[in-house]
Amino acid sequence: MRRVAAMLALWLATVGVAFAADPPAQEQVQSDISTREIAIQSNFTGIEIVLFGAIDFTSVPAIDDTQYDVIMVVRGPSEPMVLRRKERKMGLWVNGPSEVFASVPSFYAVLASRPLRAIAPEATLKTLGVGFAALDFSAEPTDEVNKARFRSSLIRLKEDRSLFLESDDAISFIGRSLFRGSVDLPVSVPIGTYTTQVYLFRDGTLLSQDDSTLQVHKVGFERLVYLLAFRYPFIYGLIAVVIAVVAGLIAWAVFGRRE
Amino acid sequence: MLQVYLPIAEISVNLVLMLGLGAAVGFLSGMFGVGGGFLLTPLLMFSGIPPAIAVATCANQIVSSSVSGALVQWRRDNIDLKMGAVLIVGGLAGAFGGVLLVRALREAGQADLMISLAYVAFLGVIGALMLAESIRAIRRARAGIPARPRKPGQHNWIHGLPFKTRFPRSRLYISAIPPLMIGALVGFLASFLGVGGGFVMVPALIYLLRMPTNVVIGTSLFQIIFITAIVTLLHATLNHTLDLVLAVLLIVGGVVGGHFGAQAGQKLRGEQLRLMLAVIVLAVAMRILLDLALVPDDLYSLVPMGAKL
Repeated sequence: MRRVAAMLALWLATVGVAFAADPPAQEQVQSDISTREIAIQSNFTGIEIVLFGAIDFTSVPAIDDTQYDVIMVVRGPSEPMVLRRKERKMGLWVNGPSEVFASVPSFYAVLASRPLRAIAPEATLKTLGVGFAALDFSAEPTDEVNKARFRSSLIRLKEDRSLFLESDDAISFIGRSLFRGSVDLPVSVPIGTYTTQVYLFRDGTLLSQDDSTLQVHKVGFERLVYLLAFRYPFIYGLIAVVIAVVAGLIAWAVFGRRE
Repeated sequence: MLQVYLPIAEISVNLVLMLGLGAAVGFLSGMFGVGGGFLLTPLLMFSGIPPAIAVATCANQIVSSSVSGALVQWRRDNIDLKMGAVLIVGGLAGAFGGVLLVRALREAGQADLMISLAYVAFLGVIGALMLAESIRAIRRARAGIPARPRKPGQHNWIHGLPFKTRFPRSRLYISAIPPLMIGALVGFLASFLGVGGGFVMVPALIYLLRMPTNVVIGTSLFQIIFITAIVTLLHATLNHTLDLVLAVLLIVGGVVGGHFGAQAGQKLRGEQLRLMLAVIVLAVAMRILLDLALVPDDLYSLVPMGAKL
């Protein structure tokens, strides 16, 4: 009996701590992704993922017609990138000035239920890293004019490749509590661990946040090829050469011997 | 249409298009008796494959076409193994140099430009020479003048060089330095441009070393097998730019296309073939040059740092 009481106390303490970490008596948001794992195979041509969630009103009994806003952020692993601008030299277009960005998310999508500026003040968005304007990329210091130009070109190029996305009214509410939004991952989607964040706002204040992760990896034959190429490149190269030699032998045996 | 995902290039390509590209270039190379890498690499680039991956993967494809070609020559005893070995030694040095140069240029962000410029120069010169030669040959044939026979026993500056070696199969007693240099140049071209280099090797062996024409093709193919195999390995290990799935598609297409090309080639006359090939080569060179000279669609380009192009 005493043991049960002790466990109950421990449980209450844990739950108490968990509750204390969150702001008390607020609407909570819960979310999930349609798939936690994306497998890239030979027939992969891109995939649509659906993020969905619900606002939990249990700790806030009164439901009036307050407007709730949801922002979803999907972010792929970051990597260093170089951006170069072409210049005309002797009649040819050659790579000229460049800018190094130490940390560029390989994939970055922001979905919102309304325009971002209408949901929250810029400072809040900046701290949360929500929206293109809030992204830093850790650029190497250069003069301001160039920096802004390179930065906007980086975002534009990523958008062209469908790797960056910022979309207002991309989240639809189903009733008061349920909501969903979908993101298209293109065929060039980088592999790695993705994080998704779902933020719940009311009148410009962040009420709650829910995070999930998503794995994008190659499977089967594609995974084998990729692993070989990067972990055992010499064996990979040898296999390629052997395939070519065997193909040449077969071609000779089938077609060439009579010549 | 059938889309296939390329695990290293990380793009999805059309299966039929890539098989067809391999077959078309295989057809041309079977018809003209050339490697075809000099056409396949630019065509892959035009269809959206990153240049570095096109170069490495083409080198792999050339291994297969030169194996079957060399076997045919081997059966006819048309390979000078000793000369081939010397060419391979030179080729190793050249191939290594080419791979390192691609690396250095990529870090400077100029690899695409330099590969394109090298292609324009290489294809422009070869195409112009072939065009002039084939027009002369056609005119000669019309006028009924026989082709000039090779004057035997001629000596040039090459015979004054040291380290003389005997090459019995070619009936040559010459310095080992020129074959080493030729091998190095071809190895460099193979790793820098993804071409077999038969284009440079065959005339160099005939006109500079004065090797008998019948052993030139076999010896050149023999050396190309080894050089392109080494280039494939170097690109795979140092640059991670070899795409096995793409390579298999090109090899399969190339094997089939090559067979039918060889059959078609026997029905056409040599001068006309060379004229056609010259026109194709010049057209590819023009297209690459235009891409460099016209205002690009996008002035900016974004690449991962220190990784693939």
